[in-house]
Amino acid sequence: MEILLKNIKLIDSGHPLHNQAVFIAIEKGEISKISKDPIEGKAKFEVEGKGLSVSQGWFDMWSSLSEPGFEYKEDIASLSEAAAFGGFTDVAVLPNTNPVIQTKDAINYIKNTSKFSPVQLHSIAALTKNAEGEEITEMIDLHHAGAIAFSDGTNAIWHTGVMSKALLYLQSFDGLLLTRPEDPHLGKNGHMHEGVASTMLGTRGLPSISEELAISRDLSLLRYTGGKIHFANVSTKKGISLIRDAKKEGLNVTCDVAAYQVAFTDHELMGFDTNLKVNPPFRGKEDLIAIWDGIEDGTIDAIVSNHSPQDQESKQLEFDLADFGMISLEIAFSIINTYKPEGMDVSVLIDRFTKFPRKILKQELISIEEGNEACLTIFDENSEWIFSKEHIQSKSVNTPFVGKELTGRALGIINNQHFKYFGDLEQNFLVKN
Amino acid sequence: MADLSVKHLLGIKNLTEQDLQTIFETADQFKAVINRSIKKVPSLRDITIANVFFENSTRTRLSFELAEKRLSADVINFSSASSSVKKGETLLDTVKNILSMKVDMVVMRHSSPGAPHFLAKHIDANIVNAGDGTHEHPTQALLDTYSIREKHGEVGGKKVVIIGDISHSRVALSNIFALQKLGAEVMICGPVTLLPKYISDLGVKVELDVRKALEWCDVANILRIQLERQKTKNFPSLREYSLYYGVNKKMLNALDKEITIMHPGPINRGIEITSDVADSEHSIILDQVENGVAIRMAVLFLLAQKR
Repeated sequence: MEILLKNIKLIDSGHPLHNQAVFIAIEKGEISKISKDPIEGKAKFEVEGKGLSVSQGWFDMWSSLSEPGFEYKEDIASLSEAAAFGGFTDVAVLPNTNPVIQTKDAINYIKNTSKFSPVQLHSIAALTKNAEGEEITEMIDLHHAGAIAFSDGTNAIWHTGVMSKALLYLQSFDGLLLTRPEDPHLGKNGHMHEGVASTMLGTRGLPSISEELAISRDLSLLRYTGGKIHFANVSTKKGISLIRDAKKEGLNVTCDVAAYQVAFTDHELMGFDTNLKVNPPFRGKEDLIAIWDGIEDGTIDAIVSNHSPQDQESKQLEFDLADFGMISLEIAFSIINTYKPEGMDVSVLIDRFTKFPRKILKQELISIEEGNEACLTIFDENSEWIFSKEHIQSKSVNTPFVGKELTGRALGIINNQHFKYFGDLEQNFLVKN
Repeated sequence: MADLSVKHLLGIKNLTEQDLQTIFETADQFKAVINRSIKKVPSLRDITIANVFFENSTRTRLSFELAEKRLSADVINFSSASSSVKKGETLLDTVKNILSMKVDMVVMRHSSPGAPHFLAKHIDANIVNAGDGTHEHPTQALLDTYSIREKHGEVGGKKVVIIGDISHSRVALSNIFALQKLGAEVMICGPVTLLPKYISDLGVKVELDVRKALEWCDVANILRIQLERQKTKNFPSLREYSLYYGVNKKMLNALDKEITIMHPGPINRGIEITSDVADSEHSIILDQVENGVAIRMAVLFLLAQKR
């Protein structure tokens, strides 16, 4: 026996043993036994589940890879380490590399590089050439090469003609369009949420209406063209409400929120901290409430990291010159779990890291059953710990969370015949070699 | 002598009302000094001050330099036509290099909001914000409110209207904070495209009609139209602006009271203000300039005590 998880709580809504303490034995990367009763025998690695839980492996739908082109910010190896530390077995990476992910070669490179790794990377290919929003890419061919969805990533799609053409073209293989809703004109030269705080800081804002308008526009196009859209990183009350109504109407639409979005409001930017400069920006209190309502009632399908590594030269600058984004793969779960409303079951969050992203992206969801491949994440939802620089696996350190106390953390992943482990040996569990 | 609550002058936002009063009282003494035959005091004899200007400025720089020299500080000047150095030498590198020459205080003007706050986080010297983009211009607001206090006895209870481009104005924002801390009522007036959407949440009145604004106020602070600070055109033409938002003598004559006219300079004569208004007996524009030196002496002196 290679790995034995002992007395560990299974978090897998829909599984007959959900919320119960189980024993799981893993042999050659497969679940050889799962049982409520102790499993006899010795294993090479044993994890004793004092307060620990196990779920299906977590899937991140929205991360910036940076390789090729920006290896000084992040590369495939460092991104994979960061993902593993954060409990992710799978990461979908944005096409905004240099060159942009828009060829079979690029997709194969990413696929092959992570083939034997504990973390599988999946390519979101560019929707338009060079992600410039003008001409659609060879989407059918890219789909066959393994692109799991299409998007211009951090570039907003502003051209309605291109958007509608893409929505139509994708229907030939039931492909998915991912877009971060943003009107490029209303938010032009904006650096933070437009509101009282931006007014007091004399800093140009990114108004909520920029997101609302883009969502409203894209939903109208979707009604016209058919097909499906996933809105990435929604942040506004009105935007979430528009998506809620569209779902009721029967449109094929899904959305996600960045885990860190619930941690701050725009008022916390008063000190011009560039680590809090993200896009979409931190917004008002009512938007935060709307995000939690959206998670609770199912409007928001997935929680993503929106991991955006930036080197020091892009962040240690005047606020308006600094680039957007923060790293967050390492602590995406910890952040959202820390801020979750009292009484919310952790499985509500876990579903949004496991089942729903895979469903949206049509990726196989491997159930936790005997004979199935082991794709698991081990985590502790209650442990309180202080996130420090030593925990950062990414090449970049742009995060406002260093020194912050967080509740809950991922401890390890079992995936692709690997067992990757980051927990504190003395406090939480035992590993027997 | 009383003490300031801050080590840097980054903005009016971070000051207390007591800080403002302390600066005013200190400025009273320095104003007396600069009107003596010997205009200089040895207060900052051991202090070296760098005036670091990443944006063009004539009067603010002159005013600071004069204030520094009147206090007997050693002064060095650095100016660069372009800020926003993204590749190449960063702001932090530039200032660290200057500080290596053993400089105690940095007076900085920069086009980026928050640039002095960023510096304050990373370097040891006292920072004085001499204008950061569209954010704050604290010494201007201090000299403006000081000039109102001088003219009217006190600032509290006065009605002050700020007319012009509020969206792109660091003078407006700092003035709003200073006037409110001192208990004045504040109104802003201008074309709606030049007024920030959320400005009324700061507790200021918003008026779109200049005549009504002038009827309401005791003091009108008329801002310079900063064409260079607008990336998109927010009003159709200077002609239309001066016709509908420019302040002229006829408007003032129509009022049943006398109001005080202020302008932070440089004036665009015939655009936001006509010459007969700028040069009238109600204008305290040149007093503002004189008070600027006293206020800056007070700020530098008080911050030097915090070293």
